[in-house]
Amino acid sequence: MAEAQVTAAAHRGGHRRGSVHAAALLVMAALIALPWIEPDKFALHVLSLIAIASIAAMGLQVLLGYSGQLSIGQAAFYGIGAYTSALLTAKLGLPFPFALIGAGIAAAIASLLMVPITRLTGAYLAVATLGFSIIVYLFIKNEEWLTGGSYGFIGIPRAELFGYVLRDPRSSYYLNVGVAAIVYFVFARIEGSRFGRAINAIRQDADAARASGIRVTLLKSECFVIAAFVAGLAGSLYAHEVRYLAPNDFTFWKSIEILIMVVIGGVGSLAGAILGAAVVVGLPEYLRAIGDYRMLVFGAILIATMLFGEGGLAALAATVGRRLYALAMRLILKPTASRKAAP
Amino acid sequence: MGALSLSQLIDLVVGGLAIGCVYSLIALGFAMIMRATNIIHFAQGEVMMLGCMCGLTSLWLLPALPLPVVIAVGMASSGLIAVGMELAVYRTLRRRRVPIMNIITATVGMSILCINAARIIWGSEPLRFPELFATTAYDFSGVRISPQLFWIMVMGVAIMGALQFFLKHTPTGLAMQAVAQDHEAAQLMGANLTRMMAYTFAISGMMAGAAGIMLGSMFFAFFEMGFITGLKGFVAATLGGLGSIAGAMLGGILFGLIETFSTVFLSSAYKDGIGMILLIAILLVLPSGLVGLWQKRR
Repeated sequence: MAEAQVTAAAHRGGHRRGSVHAAALLVMAALIALPWIEPDKFALHVLSLIAIASIAAMGLQVLLGYSGQLSIGQAAFYGIGAYTSALLTAKLGLPFPFALIGAGIAAAIASLLMVPITRLTGAYLAVATLGFSIIVYLFIKNEEWLTGGSYGFIGIPRAELFGYVLRDPRSSYYLNVGVAAIVYFVFARIEGSRFGRAINAIRQDADAARASGIRVTLLKSECFVIAAFVAGLAGSLYAHEVRYLAPNDFTFWKSIEILIMVVIGGVGSLAGAILGAAVVVGLPEYLRAIGDYRMLVFGAILIATMLFGEGGLAALAATVGRRLYALAMRLILKPTASRKAAP
Repeated sequence: MGALSLSQLIDLVVGGLAIGCVYSLIALGFAMIMRATNIIHFAQGEVMMLGCMCGLTSLWLLPALPLPVVIAVGMASSGLIAVGMELAVYRTLRRRRVPIMNIITATVGMSILCINAARIIWGSEPLRFPELFATTAYDFSGVRISPQLFWIMVMGVAIMGALQFFLKHTPTGLAMQAVAQDHEAAQLMGANLTRMMAYTFAISGMMAGAAGIMLGSMFFAFFEMGFITGLKGFVAATLGGLGSIAGAMLGGILFGLIETFSTVFLSSAYKDGIGMILLIAILLVLPSGLVGLWQKRR
């Protein structure tokens, strides 16, 4: 259901930013109406998880799609955000909004540790982020006094806003989708801004960008911090949505999952990141019926998707949309055209 | 941790070298594929796991098989699987000129596919290898070495030596090197690009298969074994300088030693983390890996 709507957003988007925004607003309207059409608790929970995943994926989109830096360690920041938020609310009793921002800030601060490695490029950068994510995973797993270790972190309170506890899955759905929407609109603004154009220049040619007076290392680091901040936000939302954290939620696989979302959806496209999140989180749920074979099928679908090339699903959806539109136009226009030709 | 007796030290060094040989073999596969295609082949660990499983299955069918034959079975099956991946998927992707990120993601998809296929075929329980080695320690003038570790080292070195000979002294090996350096120039000189790519995947698969049998006999065979080991192999390849054959061998052995020693002297819970911290540190000082050390001096 949500997938269909996001797909619709992607193909309505096309290349003009104006139509992207119009489509985004339409999708927002649909997302606001959705819980009243589909009030099933589990469906809303899955949609919340998709919204949370898409926040992390949009962060990586800025890093990979906009500035061209490959990170396979986003789970580290996601995990830091989740545990920070859990600790702040469950142990220190801070209200949720502070914990949410605190989680983002903690992840951003952790990412400052990574600033020196933004000098690295390509596979070297990837392996360094991977290393960082493994270190964070081991920390979560081994420091039982702080994180609960392998037993997991239990007793995380529900999210609450302005004294109102979000007990209803519908209200937590609105929270998660709302934060995702804010992240989307902020990032959509970045794309066309001075900062956005500068990091785009870095992605295309770092040397040329440096020669044009762009401070390459600084901007690259800023992208890292931004991506980490939103991954932290996503982690916090996840902690309060699921209310139980285990180290296994933050392994290297999680990083890979976030990367898959971005690549499946289409590198460089924000709507693509959301679409990718919907596929990666939603598809295994949808495939649950085939039991043991579901990850097998998921792997095969992942490989097949890569055949569609650079734009990923976002571009595919745009192409399909354009073809359908052309076909519809032809079907509507043809009768009149043939009538004109007949006499 | 207290003082370490000489024999304990030797045990550690031997253990580190043996596991280092396994990492080297996997790292070699990463490096060869990286050189030829620029792909980070994330399914390399799974190729290793499948080789290990096939070798184990051959032992179940014919329990009397000697070790070299089991290794050969593992190498052959891994080689075939890697070539299958190249021919069925990666080649198609390259022909369609999709960006490199897509191919790398496809290798992750391949890895998910292999892990889950293996779980369906061989089950999710860890499988023990039958004893492949003598159990009484070899005595080298007072220094006792476990036969298992000894033979793993010998075979690892032999396989890597054979690979070096193949790459340096046979026409096919030289053609592969040429293709890795420059696709177009090599093609103009008459090298068959498609075939050389398939050979590259075959050889990197064979290396992984040998590593799989060794690792499986040291610990056990498990459908998820390829994942973390594959990562370590990748780290070892990076440590050596991605895309360098000698660097990959050196990086693997170094990584094995570091890991073994840090487990004993620092913390076994953070065993995997210490290697990673070291890796990040090395990348910051030597952004092109260990090979950067001697290539700069030239």
